[in-house]
Amino acid sequence: MKINTTRFQLIEVDDKDVYAFPEGLLGFDQEKQFVILNNPKGGPFMWLQSCATPSLAFIVADPMGFRPDYNVQIKEDEVKAIGLANPESAFVMVILTVLGDTINDITANLMGPLVFNPDKMLAKQLVLTGTDYGTKHPVFSETSQNPV
Amino acid sequence: MLVLTRQVNEIIMIGDNIEITVVAVKGDKVKIGIKAPTSIGVYRKEVYDAIREENIRAAAAPKESMLDALLKLKVPIKKDDKKKKKDSDAKV
Repeated sequence: MKINTTRFQLIEVDDKDVYAFPEGLLGFDQEKQFVILNNPKGGPFMWLQSCATPSLAFIVADPMGFRPDYNVQIKEDEVKAIGLANPESAFVMVILTVLGDTINDITANLMGPLVFNPDKMLAKQLVLTGTDYGTKHPVFSETSQNPV
Repeated sequence: MLVLTRQVNEIIMIGDNIEITVVAVKGDKVKIGIKAPTSIGVYRKEVYDAIREENIRAAAAPKESMLDALLKLKVPIKKDDKKKKKDSDAKV
């Protein structure tokens, strides 16, 4: 599949690498297909590029890098929604908001993580309730910025 | 907006497969039961709005300088072989 993107120009991805988000993302419910792309300069984050909208690309990262205790409980209906047979095979990414001018402005949305089922190429944005996780968790806290 | 009066345990149907039940009323609090297909997300509006707004914020194109700053983010250590290799490389 050829995908037109603002950031990476025209790219060609294998159809089997396309994740279906049957419900889209919150606020983007018409966006049903995304691909995960490595950052061209490498690094700990990736891009979740919309297949339909060239300009829509989220920065996503594995939350374990800055929040090792992060814990996502996937509810039964959510397990069903992404056809998860084995919870071990799923992986979680969170969307980073990279606005502002300093690294302290970079935040992660821990309340709405993305869960991916690579076996079926299905994914979903979860809405966590009953946790302390917010939508604007600083990514560079003092501890992660200055590892001892 | 359609406004209906219901008593406790009475149900409202939305379409063929969504049921809203008034479970209990106590003072200014109403407990509501919702039966809906798993494909339909059911959220408290304030939680939904918070995530929706953050998604929209996150969709804005970042500055390149900020992306470079983000490269300093720690990569999580995993049992994954590829990552392991990277870690040992880093030590050398």
